[in-house]
Amino acid sequence: MTKIIVPIGPQHPLLKEPVSFQLTVEGEHVTESAMRLGYVHRGIERLCQERTYVQNIHLLERICGICSHVHTTTFCQGVEALLGVKLPSRALYLRALLCELERIHSHLLWLGVLALNIGFDTIFMYAWRDREVVLDIMEDLSGGRVSHAVNIVGGVRFDLTDDRRVTLLRQLNGLEEQVRILLGVVEHEQTLQARTRNVGRLSLEQIRRYCVVGPVARASGLDVDLRRDMPRPPYDGLTFQVPVRQEGDVWARTLVRMLETVESVHLCRQMLDLLPPGPVSTRVSRRVPAGEVVSRTEAPRGEVVYYIRSDGSDKPARVKVRTPTLTNLITLPSQLENVNMADVSVVLSGVDLCIACADR
Amino acid sequence: MNRLLRQLHLFEEIFSAFQAAFPDDPLTVQAMPIDETFVTLAPEHIHEACEILVERFDFYHLSTITGLDTGAAVELFYHFWNAYGITLRTALPYTALRIATLTDFIPGAAFYERELYTMLGVVFEGHVNLQPLLQPDDWDGSHPLRKT
Repeated sequence: MTKIIVPIGPQHPLLKEPVSFQLTVEGEHVTESAMRLGYVHRGIERLCQERTYVQNIHLLERICGICSHVHTTTFCQGVEALLGVKLPSRALYLRALLCELERIHSHLLWLGVLALNIGFDTIFMYAWRDREVVLDIMEDLSGGRVSHAVNIVGGVRFDLTDDRRVTLLRQLNGLEEQVRILLGVVEHEQTLQARTRNVGRLSLEQIRRYCVVGPVARASGLDVDLRRDMPRPPYDGLTFQVPVRQEGDVWARTLVRMLETVESVHLCRQMLDLLPPGPVSTRVSRRVPAGEVVSRTEAPRGEVVYYIRSDGSDKPARVKVRTPTLTNLITLPSQLENVNMADVSVVLSGVDLCIACADR
Repeated sequence: MNRLLRQLHLFEEIFSAFQAAFPDDPLTVQAMPIDETFVTLAPEHIHEACEILVERFDFYHLSTITGLDTGAAVELFYHFWNAYGITLRTALPYTALRIATLTDFIPGAAFYERELYTMLGVVFEGHVNLQPLLQPDDWDGSHPLRKT
């Protein structure tokens, strides 16, 4: 059969970010795929070396437009370890609270994108309507819907009044109800299952060999979550489940993400209940002692790794950022192999690509 | 506390395995903050050390490879993870910026190596597709993170 090369991107209707794919198609089936990254490479790692630690927080927040807070959290966690400061408990709780809200936001946004790509506009609209609740909460807490700018080295720069805490708990109850409805849809809706079951399947062996992280790994049976496996406050004092599925297809990824969203709502509620009193930040020196640190956190898409080296000045000598998307992208050729052309969009959305993250 | 003890025990085992495999390498070990351990090795031992970590100690997850130009050499950091972090570090002189690829047993390393090739000009020998990863089509071949 004749081979046809179908170019997709860099500007295309599937994703809102520029990335280019070249799919070799025989009939309706993809036989080969190639990918080209770098259209939104901003040189952030290099720019970090020119800026002070304080300025870098604002720069690193702009790596990702969805999980911006987790990037600054990872960076601050590393710098605080270099400084050897112990954060007030309240600061750690508030930081983690925003991380979990961000996870809910990210997963709901993703469900909407998946639904849109499979032509299921109803779920898309419901998911994005519910995502609005989280965005409103985050805007209330931090002043920003996407870029929150709440992390500082040594704590956070927002606090929660008791009144606000009560309203927040009420909002979370409403949110959980909505998320559970979406979870039910993912579990039982036949249209969604018909499009996502057995599509983009990855085995546990592949997941391990390709070093895949996050919900994609957990949907293939890899039981890993840094919040649980590298216990640090406040997560070491909270109870939560890590949803794991064995199927390894896009449906399992959808289910894992929705179950995680429910867990995140529980985590938020626990953190609000246990929120310790006290200050939200501590004063730290602007100069960071010479040293190196590797900082890891669990972002909505999986493990984020920062390597930070300080030479004793107020600017880092090197900041290396590894985002989860860069790792997960590498599985695309094996996922796309032998996939029907109509399922390409499902496979691509299943990984939850964030090209801006991958390019930095 | 148990976790810390387990970590110490595991790293003692790893360190003795490295010592047995590379008797002439002056290995150094550093405990770093946030559950991380750094082990310094000679560049020619990196491939085998990574194999020991993956095959014998099940550190299946290569988080990333960091490259860094210190002005005197190019340092590479191989960050592994399995409940604890372990980083193998090595330094390449400017005259020999080459090292064996890990993609033969960790295919997930392909993008990290391509990125380092683009950013620092380190050549990974045996990599099946060592193309620039993030640079534009009219890339002039210079390496943005190099100091010289």
